Amino acid sequence: MFTTSMLLMLIIGLVTVPLVMGAVALTRDMKLNMNWWKWTLTGLWYFLLLFCIYLDFTFMGEGEIAAAWKLLLFEGVILLILGVGLVRILLSGRSAV
Amino acid sequence: MKDKKSNLTRRSFLKATGAVAAGIQIGAVAGAGLAAGSDPSTLTGWQHLGDNTQFVDRSKLVLKGKPYTIVGETRRCEYVESPFGRNSYMMRNMMEQRREKMKRQEIEDDYVRDVAPEGGQRAEPSGPQKPSFPELNSFSGPLLDFYKKFPEIYELDKIRTESIMPKRSEDLKKYGDYYTLIDAWANAWGTSERITEPPEISDFKLGRRSIPDPLPFKSPKHASELLKKVTHHFGASMVGITKLNPDWCYNHSLRGSKNRGAYEKPEHWKYIIAFGVPHQWEQVQSNPNMGTSSDAYARSTIAARRLETYIKSLGYAARRHSPMDGYDLVAVPILVDAGLGQQGRHGVVVTPETGSNFRVAFVTTNLELEIDKPIDFGVNEFCTTCKICADICPSQSISHADTNEGMNTRGYNHWEINQTSCYNYWMQSMGAMGCRLCIIACPYSRKNNWLHALARKADTGDPTGLVNDGLTWMQEKFFDTPEAAEYLPPPDGRFATFREPPEWLQVSKYLDMNPLDPTKGQ
Repeated sequence: MFTTSMLLMLIIGLVTVPLVMGAVALTRDMKLNMNWWKWTLTGLWYFLLLFCIYLDFTFMGEGEIAAAWKLLLFEGVILLILGVGLVRILLSGRSAV
Repeated sequence: MKDKKSNLTRRSFLKATGAVAAGIQIGAVAGAGLAAGSDPSTLTGWQHLGDNTQFVDRSKLVLKGKPYTIVGETRRCEYVESPFGRNSYMMRNMMEQRREKMKRQEIEDDYVRDVAPEGGQRAEPSGPQKPSFPELNSFSGPLLDFYKKFPEIYELDKIRTESIMPKRSEDLKKYGDYYTLIDAWANAWGTSERITEPPEISDFKLGRRSIPDPLPFKSPKHASELLKKVTHHFGASMVGITKLNPDWCYNHSLRGSKNRGAYEKPEHWKYIIAFGVPHQWEQVQSNPNMGTSSDAYARSTIAARRLETYIKSLGYAARRHSPMDGYDLVAVPILVDAGLGQQGRHGVVVTPETGSNFRVAFVTTNLELEIDKPIDFGVNEFCTTCKICADICPSQSISHADTNEGMNTRGYNHWEINQTSCYNYWMQSMGAMGCRLCIIACPYSRKNNWLHALARKADTGDPTGLVNDGLTWMQEKFFDTPEAAEYLPPPDGRFATFREPPEWLQVSKYLDMNPLDPTKGQ
């Protein structure tokens, strides 16, 4: 099955390159003045997003659909709160246009 | 102006590509998660195709034309066309000839004894007899007809009997030791005989023969390593080895013995190899009314039969103890001694791999082995606070006590259950009978995938108990499970199942029947 293959893992790794390049272009466009700790926070939030998706879909794959949705709701609220906080931090350092 | 336009396009391209890449990555991670959850291999510990019976989608390979071309008069295959079939005919032929020869011998012996002058003797055959293939005309029936029709096959059979097989016997004498383990392996897969004699006889017999002389192992460590490897190959998901404590032997019914009373532990039961497999996950989640123990029972039994024969083939005494051949031993303490798991509140052993979803078998042997040590991965502490199995038990047979202090089973302190009320509920259940709810409701009984492996690791490594409490809370709040009373028969309950049965167990999906569904109050 493709979803269990190493090829999928390779694709997940490969698309990280254009993803990072796109993120750099976006932050420059938005004049966000990114530094190492802002990138770290952004990376951690994105990792958390992927982790939650991976976790919820694992539950779905196990057939625990109800648990997956409840957990998704629970995680969604946490991710939303953290995401809003992250955006406020990033926007606070924005250069004057 | 041209440069500026070019930069803008490049940056937009990068942003668009980045957005697409993020979409792909999130989708791929979701797909990988789905696969990690549904992968049947994580259910069992061995590679498993789940409902898929084919590696390849054959519908895409369907042949356009006809699969066969008829080039003559068609007919069915004759038995003598196969070398195996001819062997069987030849054996019959040879047996008849042998019987006739024996009859002639008897007449000759009678003559020597009764008629021949004193000192008369029958001539003794000199030197080893060279095997010879019978002359063509000595055959009869279909075999003779076949050989007459295909003389080249007669020649090939003759060569095999007169040259190839004697050469193979010589080769075996010379090189046979090199193939000792594959012989033992092959013997193991062919095991089928029942245990009908006491250990001092049956444990030393391989079929009707005595076991061969014991083969030397480099060390007990090597012996343990090899036995664990082959036990996994024979179908076991988990294997451990320990010495046999006589207290774990039953005080009755030693299989194969006419003595039905207490027995002394046989001296050659020095070591015991403990192993087991989990149940097929979808059906065990459909307990208590749509599950069975038989699948894991059968798998562990087959592994036990193979391992017993394998050990005997290497020249050591062995006896299997398995669900379908019976036990002379109590399972739980042996599993604990062998380091396969810890006993839980529900009285069952909890393993680090598949929790309580685990059915076991054993082989006792006199082969010197390196033993394993009991393990501790926090089950005692977990069971003290988690009472999910006690809450869900329809017969309330599992204790809600905060600790197992004061519990005493034949002098040993451990969690106790009320076996009789438990058994009474078995007799009320539908389907393949039994219950197994505590086995599957146990938070440790989860698939062996990254998610649950991580949870187990976090729980074991947390001395504060916070992970323990968090996991129990999640199990109670996030997972929808019927209440204990719902598993009872109507009118008190509705024959509920822990989870929805898989579609391949649902009658309405495949059979043209319209049965009453008690789970829906019918």
